[in-house]
Amino acid sequence: MDVQFLVSLLIILATFALYIGIAIFNTAKATSDFYVASRGVPPIFNGMAIGADWMSAASFIGMAGTIMLLGYDGLAYIMGWTGGYLFLTFLLAPQLRKYGRYTVPEFIGDRYDSHTARVIAAICTIIISFTYSIGQLSGSGVVIGRLFEIDAKLGTMIGVVLIAFYSAMGGMKGITWTQVAQYLVLIIAYLIPVIFMSLQITGNPIPWISYGDIVGKMGEIDRDLGISEYFAPFTNGTKWQFIALMFTLMAGTAGLPHVIVRFYTVSTMKAARWSGAWALLFIGLLYLSAPAYAAFSRFILLTQIAGSQISQLPAWTKSWVDTGKLQVADGNGDGVLQWSELVISNDIVVMATPEIANLGVFVIGLVAAGAMAAALSTAGGLMISISSAFAHDIYYRLMRPNASDKQRLKVGRWSIVIATLFAGLIALNPPGVITQIVAWAFAIASGTFFPALVLGVWWKRSNAKGVITGLLVGLAVTLSYIFAAKYGGFTILGIIDTGAGVFGAFAGFLANVIVSLSTAAPSQKLQDEVIDLRYPEQMTYKDGEVWMHDGETETIK
Amino acid sequence: MKKIEKEVADRYFREKNRNIIIYFIVWFIVSYGVVLFAEPLSHMTFLGFPFHYYMGAQGAVITFIILLFVNAKLGDNLDKKYGIDESKNEQISSGRALDH
Repeated sequence: MDVQFLVSLLIILATFALYIGIAIFNTAKATSDFYVASRGVPPIFNGMAIGADWMSAASFIGMAGTIMLLGYDGLAYIMGWTGGYLFLTFLLAPQLRKYGRYTVPEFIGDRYDSHTARVIAAICTIIISFTYSIGQLSGSGVVIGRLFEIDAKLGTMIGVVLIAFYSAMGGMKGITWTQVAQYLVLIIAYLIPVIFMSLQITGNPIPWISYGDIVGKMGEIDRDLGISEYFAPFTNGTKWQFIALMFTLMAGTAGLPHVIVRFYTVSTMKAARWSGAWALLFIGLLYLSAPAYAAFSRFILLTQIAGSQISQLPAWTKSWVDTGKLQVADGNGDGVLQWSELVISNDIVVMATPEIANLGVFVIGLVAAGAMAAALSTAGGLMISISSAFAHDIYYRLMRPNASDKQRLKVGRWSIVIATLFAGLIALNPPGVITQIVAWAFAIASGTFFPALVLGVWWKRSNAKGVITGLLVGLAVTLSYIFAAKYGGFTILGIIDTGAGVFGAFAGFLANVIVSLSTAAPSQKLQDEVIDLRYPEQMTYKDGEVWMHDGETETIK
Repeated sequence: MKKIEKEVADRYFREKNRNIIIYFIVWFIVSYGVVLFAEPLSHMTFLGFPFHYYMGAQGAVITFIILLFVNAKLGDNLDKKYGIDESKNEQISSGRALDH
């Protein structure tokens, strides 16, 4: 066991102790003072909690590597995963808060007054969260694999056990303060290496300003090497793929069940608005830094590693080669490692760069702890979405309406364990890099929930038959496109699997609108409920009249 | 509880939607607009970056954040203009969440 292993492990354990400590402290407080604990979390902290839920292994581990390898084309992830918050905060979150259901299947079931729609929504929730969790598990595999210097596959298996256990325990969800701590660990772990690298390379500690010159310099080196410039647009795909991917990620953001749920826990529509704004500010801190991380990593590899003697490669190469995610083969046998002979997986760039740049054992350990926080906090949220969709919306509402609380809890726990195991099996041989797998989950969300929720909130004429057709058509189109593009080589305008959401969303909207218009309008009560969502809580719409509460003694029923 | 003119309530809704449409126009220009014209914009530089790259890596994200805060603040102003009282909203919505 070397020093690095011990330091990394200690930092990971220390951060875990912190989360558990906060959870225990808060549970104790919650029982004594139930109401204060459930409310009164200011939007700024709620924003951090949303940030922790949101930033997964894909954002933390995968994104900078993807940008490093794709250059400008990778920036679709940056704009897509932030721009979606405008859809969410302007079009959906406040209205869903006013409607007051706790999960997406609940909202769809009640808004459209249809059991079938609820069950389909529950199945979509499971598919989306399941796909997403494959990405998280393969991320935890990278972290654990490096920690123990074992193959990432073995790391994934350990990750499966950890995540199944963590989520089945309750995932420490609903305890906003734990997530605030996770956010802080995660963001500090991300910023420190970027700031150090910035100092090391440019002498300027502010990476966001300093890396512009590095981007320019890399363009020159690339030209000398005869490869396309780092910042040149659309070298890895068409312009339409860029736009389709960006749209998919934006619309998917507004349709992800485990993210939407967070907006139900805020107190009012106003709080939903502010929470959305704070959330994007905190998320933005990482997203603004990822391209800097990518640029510095690439610069270091390009100038310090490429061109060195194969026999004198530093020690970090071996530990990463062991995970199976890095190859340094001397293809032309000249004893020198050329840039083209260095094959690095997107998924290890963030974890490996601090080692490459020699930032010291503490920083490397901190990055590992941050990556674990990202993978675990999101996986917890995903597993809870899966278990509530199955145990509540399918098992309880459909199969066994008279099941006891205890039975439902048991079914919920088992669905977490089974889902994690299955996702783990697929993650052993991940069908893509982390960002790509996660992009599929977003594509499915944008093909199913994005149209169903937007029309549900904004169009009173949309009815049960419309939403059922819309969900099914959107799901079918998205899944077929992903498979056809990935395995069949079928593309339209060069749009590949990750951009599938644009077709799914289009088909989903179209099917919902056509079927809704050609069948009977929903009942007056349902239509009134939709009109009511136009106004703040204090105004209530009923039978064509608007009432203003003076908030004295009445309660709304 | 008192009745208010539907016209007044609808004016609230329209003002809010007008703002949202403006936000989405800005959102579209800084993200999709820049991508659509990435090649010509790449000849300009900003803070040492080619301009299209700067917008993708920072400019768009910063604009999104600003738009969300503007929306939150203007939303508050709009509520005030129509006499909405946040403490009453809290009171109403805390009794409102339904769980089956």
